[in-house]
Amino acid sequence: MSFFGFDTSRHNPAAAGFSQAHNPFAGLSNREDEGDALEFDQTYDGLGDQLEETGDAFNDDTFGDTAGLDTRPVGKDFDFFNSTAKVANAIEEEHVRFTRQQPAPRAPQPMPQAPAHAFQQPSIPGPSSYGYYPQPAVHKPARTGYEKYGNEPVADLQVDASLWGVAPKKQPQPAPAASPAAVPASTAPSRKVLSLEEVEAQMRAQAKKPTQQATPSPAPPPAAIPAGSQAHVPPPMHYDQAYQFPQHGQPQGPPQTDYAQKDQAVAHGHGHPVTILQRPLSKQAPSPQPPVQPAAHQRQQPSVSMQPTQILQNPNRLSGDAARLGMRQHPAPTMPGNYPAHPVHKQQGSFSRQPQIITHPSQLAQLSEEEKAAYLEQEAKRAKRNHKIFLMSRDNGIMTPQDKSFVTRIQLQQLVAATGNPNEHGTDESLAEDFYYQVHSQIQGSQRQNPNQPLNNFAQTYLFQTGSRQGGMRRQHRGPENHMQRMEQQVQRAVEAAKNKPKNKQLVIEGSLGKISFSNAKTPKPLLNIKRTDNTGEAHGPSSAQKHVAHDGDRKTDLRSIERIYTTLMQMEDHDRNMPPPPTNDADTEAIQTFVTWNSEAQILNNQLWESLRVHDHPDNGHVHPFIALLSYTKGMKAMQRISRHLTHEQRTTIFTLIVVNLDSLEVVRNAQVTPEAMQLNAAMRENVELFSVAVMATLFNILNELDLDLVAGMLGLVCTRNVDVISKSRIGASMLTMILSRAEIIKHGGGGSEPAWRSWDMTHTRFFDLIEPSLPHTFPGPVTASDDIYVWQLLAALGIGASPDQQQRLVLAVKDRVMDTVALSKTLPQDLAAQRLQNVNLFMRSIGLDVELLQ
Amino acid sequence: MLFFSFFKTLIDHEVTVELKNDIQIRGVLKSVDQYLNIKLDNIQVLEEIKYPHMSAVKNVFIRGSVVRYVHLPANAVDVPLLEDATRREAANQAGKGK
Repeated sequence: MSFFGFDTSRHNPAAAGFSQAHNPFAGLSNREDEGDALEFDQTYDGLGDQLEETGDAFNDDTFGDTAGLDTRPVGKDFDFFNSTAKVANAIEEEHVRFTRQQPAPRAPQPMPQAPAHAFQQPSIPGPSSYGYYPQPAVHKPARTGYEKYGNEPVADLQVDASLWGVAPKKQPQPAPAASPAAVPASTAPSRKVLSLEEVEAQMRAQAKKPTQQATPSPAPPPAAIPAGSQAHVPPPMHYDQAYQFPQHGQPQGPPQTDYAQKDQAVAHGHGHPVTILQRPLSKQAPSPQPPVQPAAHQRQQPSVSMQPTQILQNPNRLSGDAARLGMRQHPAPTMPGNYPAHPVHKQQGSFSRQPQIITHPSQLAQLSEEEKAAYLEQEAKRAKRNHKIFLMSRDNGIMTPQDKSFVTRIQLQQLVAATGNPNEHGTDESLAEDFYYQVHSQIQGSQRQNPNQPLNNFAQTYLFQTGSRQGGMRRQHRGPENHMQRMEQQVQRAVEAAKNKPKNKQLVIEGSLGKISFSNAKTPKPLLNIKRTDNTGEAHGPSSAQKHVAHDGDRKTDLRSIERIYTTLMQMEDHDRNMPPPPTNDADTEAIQTFVTWNSEAQILNNQLWESLRVHDHPDNGHVHPFIALLSYTKGMKAMQRISRHLTHEQRTTIFTLIVVNLDSLEVVRNAQVTPEAMQLNAAMRENVELFSVAVMATLFNILNELDLDLVAGMLGLVCTRNVDVISKSRIGASMLTMILSRAEIIKHGGGGSEPAWRSWDMTHTRFFDLIEPSLPHTFPGPVTASDDIYVWQLLAALGIGASPDQQQRLVLAVKDRVMDTVALSKTLPQDLAAQRLQNVNLFMRSIGLDVELLQ
Repeated sequence: MLFFSFFKTLIDHEVTVELKNDIQIRGVLKSVDQYLNIKLDNIQVLEEIKYPHMSAVKNVFIRGSVVRYVHLPANAVDVPLLEDATRREAANQAGKGK
C-alpha cells in the first residue's frame, strides 16, 4: 500500500525521470516494452571495474600543476575549462601515441566481433596522422559541466531495509529495462546533429538514387559537411557508429570505445562523422548487435553486393519506427553474425510482412507512385517526430543524477521526519505521539498484524523505486559509493538533530510586523498560539489548592482528582508494559537489580494512586466521602475496573468496605430511590445506574468473591449500621445486598467458614432481616406493571435461601401482594412476557420451597 | 497528532465528510495524512440533486482545510481508548508548552 493508495504496482519504472536516473529515451522505450530487453550484464563491458579509483596521482599532469604554473590560490572562480584546455593537446598526443602503439587493444568484451574485425586492418596508413586532427571535434564537445558525473555510480541507490525496520519483502526486481548503466550516464549534447531539413534531404537523395548507391561510391554528403572533405564523405555507417558507441562523447569515457570510430575517421579522412540522433536509443533499439560489422566486412572486402544493404540499413535505422517494427518482427536477424550473412533474406522477410517498410531502395523503385509518396510522407513524419524528440531531449541532462539523488534525499528525509522512524514504533515516543492508533491496532489485531504495517509498506513502496536501480548488482561491493547508505545516515542524523533541537517554532525578524512560525509535517503551523505566562500559572496553583481543600465535593475538584487518578493509572500501565522479566536465577544480579527497581517504582506509583483515591480521607460533616463522590461521575465509575487491577488485595478490600459503609450515600443509591408511584427514574440517572452496575458492580463482585465469611459477615454488619431502607429501595443497593447474601450462601455450599464465623453470620443475618423486613413491600420499582423488577426477586430469593422457616413466612407475608398481582398480571400478558414475569417470581418462590404453579 | 492517529484507525470505514461549502460526501476512508487531508473511495454525495456535478465522481481527495465535520462510525471508535489518548495528548502538549 502506498501512502495515498496509488497503485505503485502499475507504476512504470521505465518512465522518464522516475527511477532511471539518466535514460533520456526512457519515454521512447515505453512504447515498445515487449521485445528483446538487454541484460545489463551482457552489455556492460566491465571497463568501469578496471578503473583505478584512487589513482589520482597524476591529476596535476591532467589538470595542470596549479602550484607550478600558477601560484595564485585557487579561488572560487577557478576556470576549470581553461586550465584543462591547457593540457588538452598533451592529452591528445598521448591519445594518438597510444592508438598507434596498440593496434589491437583490449576489445570491449560483449561485442568482440565488431572491434576485432574492425582492427584486422593491420595498420593505419599514413593519412591517420592528418586524419586524426579533425577527430577532436567529435571528442571535445562543449563542456556541459556534468562530465565528471559520467563515471559516478549514480545508479546504485540501494537501501538498507533495516532503516525502515523491516526486511524488504519484495526484493525489487531490477528489470533489465531499468538498468540504467546500460545507457550512458549523460548524453553528448555537443554532437553534430542534423537538422530536419538535412535529414530529409539525405533521405530524398537516397530515395532518388538507388542505383547510384549500388556502386561503392558513398552517398552524397549532407549539407552540414564541409565541401572540402567531399572526397572522404563518410558513408552513413557512422549512424551506426553513433549507436554503437553512445558514450564516446564523454571525455572521460574509456578510450577503447573510441577506437573504432577513430579508425573510421582515419580511414575516411573526415572528422565529422554524420550522426543523427546520436543519443542512445533505449535498450530495445538494436544497439548491442554490432552494426559495425558490416562496415568492417566492407572495408576488408568491399563487395558491391554488400554496399547497398549497408547504406540502406541506415535510413531505416534512422527512422526509429521502422527499425523498431523491423526488429520486433524479426528478432533473429538482429543477432550478431546473422545480419551480414543474410541481409537480403531479412529485408525480404520484413518487406513481405510489413509492406510499408522499405528497407531497400530497389523496393522503393518498384513501388507505385502513391505508395512511394505515402512512404516518403511516413518517413518525413518519422523524421519530424525524431526531431521533436530531439528537441525535447535537450533538457534531458539538466539534472544530474546527483541532483536527483539530492532531491530524493530531501524527500526521504521529510518523509521520515513526518512519519517517524519506523524503528521507533512501539517505543514510548511513538506511543506518545500515536497512542490511539497503535493501541487500537493492537486491539483490533486481526485487521492488521502490526501497527507498523502501513508505514512500512509506504516506505517499501517508496524505496522500491529507488531500490530498483540496483541494476546489475555489480557495484554491490563498492561500499562507500552507496548513495542510499549515505542518505540513510544523513536522514538518521537529521532526524536525530531535529529531535534534539530545541523547538524554536517562531522567528521574529527585525522590522517585521509579526512572527513567522515554522511548521513542518509533524507539527503543522499552530494557528492559535496561546502562551500562558508562568505568573498566572503560579497564581492558579495555590488558589486551586486552596479551593481543593476548602470545597470538597466541588464538582470541578472531583473531576480534577479523577483526572489525576487516570494519569496515575496510565503511568502504571506504561510501567507495567515495561516490566522486566523476573530474574531467572539468583546469580543474575543485574536482572534482580532491574526487577527490584521496577518493583519499587511500581510501589511508588501504587502509593500515588492510593493517595489520589483519597480512601483514607475523612469527610467534613455533611459531606460525602471524596472517594464515594468520585463514583457519582461516569468517569469515576469507569475507572474502577482499572483501579482495582492495580491495587493490592488489602486495598481492594478497603475500597469495598468503604463503599459498603457509604452505600446509602452513593449517588446511584441515594438519588435513585424507587417509589410505587414513579414508573421510572429520569434518563440520566437510569444511565448512571446502568453504568454503575456494569462498571462498578462487576468489580465489586470480583472483590467480594475473594472475601471469606468473616469479612462477608462484617460487610453485612456494616450495612446494618446504615439506612437499610434507602439501600433496599434502590436497584444498586438491592443488588449489593443480594451479592453479599449470596456470597455467604456460596461459602456455605462450599463448606467454608468456621463455626464461630457462621454463628456471627447468623446473628448478623437475623438483625439484617429485621431491618429490611418493613421495607420489603416498597422495594419494587413502580406498580406491578413495571417489568424491571427482577433484581428485587433476586434479593428476595437470596434472603429466602438463608432464612429460617419463620423468616420465610414473614417474607411471604411481606411480598404476598406483589406475587399475587404478578401472577394475575401474567395471565393478561403475551405468553413469553408472562413466562418471563413468572420466572422472576419463581426465583423467590423456589428459594423458599414453593412454586408459582401452586398459585395458578 | 491525536487526530491523525485517530483517523488512521478509521481507514476502510465509511465516513461522511461535511465540507465547508455544505457538501456532504459519504465514502470509504482510504487515506488520511497529518494535515487531515482525506481520500475517499466509492463516494456518494448526500444531496445528489443539489450537486449533480458530483454524481460522476467516484473518489475524491479532500484538502484537510476545507473539512467542516467528519461524521464517524460510532462502532469504530473505542471511546475509553480515545479518552486515554486525549489525556496523553493533553499531557504531551502541556509538557511541550513548558
